[in-house]
Amino acid sequence: MDLPGWQKVYAELHEQNFEIVAAAQDTGGEVAAGKWYDAAKATYTTLVDTQHTVSSAYQFINVPTGIWIDERGKVVRPAEPAWTNNQTMKIGEKSIVTEGEAYVAALRDWVKNGERSIYALSDDEFARRVKPRTPAEMEADASFKLGVWFHAQGKQELAAKYWARAQQLNPDDWNYHRQEWSFTPQEAGKKWRDKFDKLEQPYYPKLEISPAPEKK
Amino acid sequence: MMIGSPDIQIEDRLGTLKTLEGRFWCTFVRMNRRQFLLTSGGSALVTATAAPATTVLYGDHAVTIDKIRPDAKDLWIRAADLPRINEFELKPQGACRAAMCIPVSKDLKSGEWFNLTGFARKLHQTYVFDSGAWSFGEIPLMRGEFYKTRIAPDFAVPDRKGRLVHLSDFRGRKVLVITWASW
Repeated sequence: MDLPGWQKVYAELHEQNFEIVAAAQDTGGEVAAGKWYDAAKATYTTLVDTQHTVSSAYQFINVPTGIWIDERGKVVRPAEPAWTNNQTMKIGEKSIVTEGEAYVAALRDWVKNGERSIYALSDDEFARRVKPRTPAEMEADASFKLGVWFHAQGKQELAAKYWARAQQLNPDDWNYHRQEWSFTPQEAGKKWRDKFDKLEQPYYPKLEISPAPEKK
Repeated sequence: MMIGSPDIQIEDRLGTLKTLEGRFWCTFVRMNRRQFLLTSGGSALVTATAAPATTVLYGDHAVTIDKIRPDAKDLWIRAADLPRINEFELKPQGACRAAMCIPVSKDLKSGEWFNLTGFARKLHQTYVFDSGAWSFGEIPLMRGEFYKTRIAPDFAVPDRKGRLVHLSDFRGRKVLVITWASW
């Protein structure tokens, strides 16, 4: 996670009528998420999203994910991996690559230039990137939320049943998997690795930002 | 799998229901036993045993309703409860929310009752039910507005102190919304 990185970006851009809203996708609530906000000394808006409401609203399937929204509430760029730095982490035969420098450089351009920014997506490009949910994805969403409800009621068997159902209906959604795995931490690493090793696509989708932003 | 309470047993099976349009999926349930108490007296009054409160998950929130009409398949709520569940209101022209009205066929209404799951099927809206809780998915018709207009659906999520924050609180400013997680 990259909360301290976002604090730097916020300090740089906040005065330009720009806000960062961070939403912890944590069914464990403040107990799970709070210390990370504290460690980052975050002064942007810090939410504790136990039901994954934000991921559900904007069709995010992993963390960290970002979406840009303009002054009128219109989506400028939909879901993309939202890092602030470039990293390559080798895991087995594969690597996880983050492309934060380009993402932040493009963000900086948009904050400065608004809809004239070359990184503000056209309607056609938005339509290409944001597809309506399939019936299976819709049922997965409703099932995941039912699982969160049962979890909050202390009905863990029922929670597990509906989280498993969500995973089965939408296997590409890492949030459904990783949230559930977090409740059995001794097995979570192995489960993550098994799923990761079977991936055919990159763990974080490659950023489609063109032309490549200039470095600051 | 059987889920039992003292007086109601529900057999829950995952399956696919198809409407005429063939697009609707849901988890369907069959109640295979419901115990009714017959009251004594001249008229044959039939009442269900007191059911536990029903929870409806809709959009961002959970609504507890204390009165539903017993039914083997569908969730019948009082029409008066509709607005606090999903902001729809029954009017002569149909079920209305903001500027949108959806015609409601007669079979979805019965006296004070409204068939919420029947309404969902009409809207191609998914729902899942188990153990007294109904979870409804998005309404594709309303979701379609997002794909068309690009206006981000609003949300209401608490901050660290429990105060609800809405996306719409930031109108007039550029916003980066990011998710992350401790796991």
